[in-house]
Amino acid sequence: MQSDKQSSSPVMRILQSISDASLIPVLAILTAVILGGIIIKMVGGDPFLAYKGLIEGSLGSKKALSETAVWATPYIFAGLAVALAFKGGLFNIGAEGQLAVGAVFSALIGYALPEWLGFSLPIYIHLPLAIIIGMLMGGIWAGIVGALKAYTGGHEVINTIMMNYIALNTTSFLLNGVMKDKSPTNVIARTPLIAESARMPAIFDGLRVHWGFVLALLVAFFIWWLLNKTTLGFEIRTVGANPDAAQYAGINVKRTIILTMMLSGMLAGLAGSIEVTGLNYRHELGFSIGYGYDAIAIALLGRSHPLGVVLAALLFAAMRNGSSRMQFLTQMPVDLISVIQALILLFVAADAIIRYIYRIKSKGERVVLTRGWGG
Amino acid sequence: MKKLYYVMAMLIVASMILAACGTPATEAPAATEAPAASATEAPAAAVTQEDCAKPEVFCVGLVSDVGKVNDKSFNQSAWEGVQQAQADGVADLVQFIETSDAKDYAKNISTFADSGFDVIVTVGFGLGEATLAAGLQYPDVKFIGVDQFQAWQYTDDKADDSANVTGLNFPEDQAGFLVGALAAMQSKSHKIGAVCGTDVVPPVWRYGEGYKAGAAYADGMNSTTTEVFVVYHSDVGFDKTFTDPEWGAQTAKSMMDQGADAIFGCGGVTGNGAITAAAQAGKYAIGVDADQYLTLPEAAPRMLSSAMKLITPGVAQLIAAAKDGTIVAGNFTGTAGYAPYHDMDGEVSADVKAAMEAINAGLLDGSIKTNVSPAKP
Repeated sequence: MQSDKQSSSPVMRILQSISDASLIPVLAILTAVILGGIIIKMVGGDPFLAYKGLIEGSLGSKKALSETAVWATPYIFAGLAVALAFKGGLFNIGAEGQLAVGAVFSALIGYALPEWLGFSLPIYIHLPLAIIIGMLMGGIWAGIVGALKAYTGGHEVINTIMMNYIALNTTSFLLNGVMKDKSPTNVIARTPLIAESARMPAIFDGLRVHWGFVLALLVAFFIWWLLNKTTLGFEIRTVGANPDAAQYAGINVKRTIILTMMLSGMLAGLAGSIEVTGLNYRHELGFSIGYGYDAIAIALLGRSHPLGVVLAALLFAAMRNGSSRMQFLTQMPVDLISVIQALILLFVAADAIIRYIYRIKSKGERVVLTRGWGG
Repeated sequence: MKKLYYVMAMLIVASMILAACGTPATEAPAATEAPAASATEAPAAAVTQEDCAKPEVFCVGLVSDVGKVNDKSFNQSAWEGVQQAQADGVADLVQFIETSDAKDYAKNISTFADSGFDVIVTVGFGLGEATLAAGLQYPDVKFIGVDQFQAWQYTDDKADDSANVTGLNFPEDQAGFLVGALAAMQSKSHKIGAVCGTDVVPPVWRYGEGYKAGAAYADGMNSTTTEVFVVYHSDVGFDKTFTDPEWGAQTAKSMMDQGADAIFGCGGVTGNGAITAAAQAGKYAIGVDADQYLTLPEAAPRMLSSAMKLITPGVAQLIAAAKDGTIVAGNFTGTAGYAPYHDMDGEVSADVKAAMEAINAGLLDGSIKTNVSPAKP
């Protein structure tokens, strides 16, 4: 993002670049909220009461804030996963499947490892192990797609979608079969509860927000550091911008593609692992449905910048979380939230609409040679 | 910049205009929400959510499972039960929250509990644990769990006993028994079939086995011999057991090829596929859970009846019991029934109708037993 104004201090420059980058998303959100209000009115509701409910339900109390953080946690991880892949010129639609793989393995380590070993583990070994195994399996799952892309040219969009089917159906098979909770009254496809030693503690008593949220913020910072301050990050961005130039510059493009997909998959796997170890204490079919797809929206809205992803994830989390209270107050269908989210996404993806409505000139953008979405 | 203000102003004006003319035009989109909206808005003028904290105001909240209160099935039947309680003058205010993600179960329940609601109805097995946990957290609130089996009642451990959670369960075997008897009496080929979800799920097993038992009972009454085909989805796949209409249709067709002329579909969309195929072939279709004549128009013209869980009266009855304090924590067994014959009324003889009423009465007073075990042994 080039600025045509030359700002004096570095602080001003950073602020300028932030406002440049956030202009379109903020206007998109605003427009979507106004349009959403019109839709609410048209179906016979009270838009002000609805938005009041949305805000109260997501920010109005300690409990509401805690639940928003709970919702945001997987969104941040999965959003980062998609954003990182975008930066590397790859479109990871497979976060949904990688997330499921991560969740299944974390749950397996969580409940079965003490049985296999015959003794219980301390939390400082068991919990990290459950998280790391889930993360690694998510990484391997996505790495397969990366390898297919690097060595055979198989397109990652097709392959991640296909791998989603494999992951979700295998998960379903396992949760209905060998991994199913065997207690006699259970009829749901879900694993047994994980051991106490594999559970992430809550931050505050009585609230569900857990240390996974803090971890998500730390990981977001780490990804920013990785992309902007390390050689690997530079390689990822260069391959994303122009693989031919990257090759010419001596970057191992194949290796970078595989690594990018693996890192992306690890982040998505973490999203699943943290849901299991921090929130649900088990994996259940139907939990986490759609997070991988919401993550694409979050990465786009956050313009693939880690800070943007965190903010977009918090916004989506607040909307999802606040929707219960909105419905409680207005008895409107919760699907309205999906409509508003879709509008935001539409305006961000097709930013020409927003530029047209608000008469924003594109500021001397370069001719873009990328095939990525990173921007 | 000036243009931007124009645009903003235009948007605001446009929203006002649309808002103004939007109100009378609400009928079409609001139609699907009609049962919810009409019931909540009329009395809301008198009683609001703020009043629920007062002891004299009796408020009932419903938390759906992932799904809508107009799903023409489970959630809707339960919601109609709640509305029934309001129509009967039991409840002063009724409201629902539709769950969109399983992790919101606890939050949605506590949204009602924190607002001083007196009874909270949670729909579906999936909410069972969240409901029990909420029962501990909110000892003053009565909870009604539809299709939530309260296992603690049968354990020796007294510590896990709940004081305020009542599970509303149904004798699916009796519902299956009723339609099994009906199918056997109506069948001309004396061959009938049932296409079900997985028999690992106890209610599905009870439906299927009850169907067999009912057919056998009818045979005993009329000295006929009816061949009953019952196929469960278990052998085919795992996750698709309730969502495999193609398999349901195929299975129903192969049963009809063998001569079956009445098909009972028990198991979600899988069963719907089976009975739709039966209806298209001009055979008798028999629905499940709710009166599927109303919910499955494809099969409605040939819908003989449906094996019903009477969720609506069960919920209304428990809410009334909660109000007068007679509700008991633990399992409450609702009643099973069978749906009206609707378009097939002319094909059911008076004798069969009388026999069905006798069987229903026998099941209700216990003089007829299905002898079906609660779960697959």
